[in-house]
Amino acid sequence: MVTLALRTLRHRTGGFLATFAATFLGATILMAFASLFDTAAGGVDTATEETLTLMASVAGGWCLLIVAFAVTSTLTLAVRQRDRELALLRSVGATPGQVGRMVVVEAAVVALAAAVLAVPAGYGLGRLLFTLLVRTDQVPAEVAYRFGSIAVGIGVGVTVLGALLAALATARRLGRMAAQEALVADEPRRMGWKRVAAGVLLVAVGANNGLLTVLLFSGAGSDAMQTAGSASIFASAGLALLSPALIRAVTAVLGGPLARLGGAGGWLTVANLRRRSHQLGGALMPIILFTGISVGTLVMQSVENRADAPGGTIPASMQRNIETLNLVVVGMIALFAAIMLVNTLIAATTYRRREFGQQRLAGATPGQVRRMVGAEAAVLAVTGVLAGSVASLATIVPYTIARTDRLVPDAPAVIWPAIALAAVVLTLAASIGSARRALRTPAVEAVGLTA
Amino acid sequence: MSSLDAREALRLDDVRKVYGTADNPVTALDGVTLRLPTGSFTAVMGPSGSGKSTLLQCAAGLDRATSGSVTVAGQPIPTGGEAAVTKFRRDRIGFVFQQFNLLPTLTALENVTLPARLAGRRVDRKRCATLLAQVGLGDRLHHRPAQLSGGQQQRVAIARALASSPALIFADEPTGALDSRAAREVLALLATAVRDHGQTVVMVTHDPAAAAYAGAVVFLADGRIVGHLARPTADAVAERLAHLTDAVAVAGV
Ligand SMILES: Nc1ncnc2c1ncn2[C@@H]1O[C@H](COP(=O)(O)OP(=O)(O)OP(=O)(O)O)[C@@H](O)[C@H]1O
Ligand SMILES: [Mg+2]
Repeated sequence: MVTLALRTLRHRTGGFLATFAATFLGATILMAFASLFDTAAGGVDTATEETLTLMASVAGGWCLLIVAFAVTSTLTLAVRQRDRELALLRSVGATPGQVGRMVVVEAAVVALAAAVLAVPAGYGLGRLLFTLLVRTDQVPAEVAYRFGSIAVGIGVGVTVLGALLAALATARRLGRMAAQEALVADEPRRMGWKRVAAGVLLVAVGANNGLLTVLLFSGAGSDAMQTAGSASIFASAGLALLSPALIRAVTAVLGGPLARLGGAGGWLTVANLRRRSHQLGGALMPIILFTGISVGTLVMQSVENRADAPGGTIPASMQRNIETLNLVVVGMIALFAAIMLVNTLIAATTYRRREFGQQRLAGATPGQVRRMVGAEAAVLAVTGVLAGSVASLATIVPYTIARTDRLVPDAPAVIWPAIALAAVVLTLAASIGSARRALRTPAVEAVGLTA
Repeated sequence: MSSLDAREALRLDDVRKVYGTADNPVTALDGVTLRLPTGSFTAVMGPSGSGKSTLLQCAAGLDRATSGSVTVAGQPIPTGGEAAVTKFRRDRIGFVFQQFNLLPTLTALENVTLPARLAGRRVDRKRCATLLAQVGLGDRLHHRPAQLSGGQQQRVAIARALASSPALIFADEPTGALDSRAAREVLALLATAVRDHGQTVVMVTHDPAAAAYAGAVVFLADGRIVGHLARPTADAVAERLAHLTDAVAVAGV
């Protein structure tokens, strides 16, 4: 099975690209932040040590949550796409244990390779981050940048562990199914209760943080960021977990009109949205995270910058620190989510070459297939932007109330439309672009592909 | 000439199809010339790998011949992009695939209505449901392919090919997954399409009894047409086929 795992890796490199990309990027970002710990440990003055540690633990901490989330969800998606192939192995006599080991070995090899290759990239990004801190006078110029065991340990450890845990969970799921059941299994009609519970819990934590912001920090100046900043991150992650349900809800509303007015493409889109809500949910997640966290954090920072009365316990010298911190966090998370978004969409669309081939053989022109993919992407983008915007309110509303005693934030009006537009453009471009590429394979050949 | 063309449902002129790379070519069709009149029912037979599926796919415009020309009802298959070929195909040709190729997210009935939707034609759900009932799936309209047996999926594929009343129907082993009773029903359905509606059917089969439903059999070996049999009986077909496999086996040695 280990040999089979390695052979599969060699022959199907494309299928593992998504997992590789997620792990590589995640490890790069984590190493960049963790290298600040290495630098702080290298004999610097207390103030500098504090700045570096704060930056590494707060910003890095949030990135850690998002990276773990992204690596596990990408890997789960990648394995799900191979359900048929794995079920086939089962049906020719592989035990669930053998298939499970194969999945875990594959995940480990891919994740480890990605994390190790990420070391130079992590070094570069960490250096960039450090230069930013020096340029903004938060770290004295004479401090030397260091990249060492903490950076490598955290970067490699978290991503490989995340990938392994996700692979183990998937292997367990495969093991519970009978071979034949796995071969014909439709995707589940509803989400597992654990996933629903986790999603609801995260949304509740987000709402609770918002509430605490108003109750504890009203009039306390920028202290309110302590709870408000994380509120939209929690809420976005929660809604992202619930994305199959969101897709079903949106389809219930939009499905009828889209099927009636959208021609054959619209009709196929609705069939897909109804019956593939889990698969499409994987693509919805990064849209929600991207929108929710970017809008929430950027609006919060703008409110802070425009608030006239500085206050709270945080000294003025630290204000700048916090602004940089916020911008770095949101920048990294937004970038990561954007790349994950493109990554997931490309993987999901490429996987559908066979389905596109079947549609073409049934009489769909390439243009009709592209329009169908476009309609699906549009529904995903609108759903994701709406859900992300709702999640961002968990930060924006409480912070505005606490900081300025108003309900409507005093922030540049372009933030929301700019981010929403970026999400929509990325989603459409990645989906339609990879559909175009998938359509280059002749239809008769495409239906012969296993994945 | 052109008046002849109109009664010719399908015409292949020296069609060649080469797969693979330049240094490792696989010749699947080696100069096939074939004329089929409108309203004919032809069976294509031959050993596995002789090029039967390739022949059907090239004739239906699903695959592009390496050289030679294909003419459907007097009109050559367009050489433009895939969209032009698809539009040409979906107005004239129905195809039953060896591997069914049903859409996994659609129910049986939805799969049968799909070609009409894609072509922008009015969807006649009643007719589609009737077709499914005729192939014995009246109680499976709302099942998806994964919930159907192989033979049932094959019958959905047949109903789909018949749904748009195409002038030309290609069927690649349409009874391959069926028991003899279901096979007889499907063959009768194809024969009816020819007899009552003047449609033209080309069917690949390995079964001499199935070939006997056709008006003529074309034998294929190594990508060439090696024989022709009019008004076939199962016994005559079986005998010819036995000779053919012997000949191929001898040539192979
Ligand atoms: N995409 C392809 N690439 C390379 N070779 C191919 C391809 N498709 C078919 N062939 C080869 O072309 C030849 C004819 O194949 P084809 O599928 O037409 O055979 P067939 O007569 O339909 O066989 P069967 O009865 O087993 O279905 C075979 O030698 C096959 O290996
Ligand atoms: Mg064949």
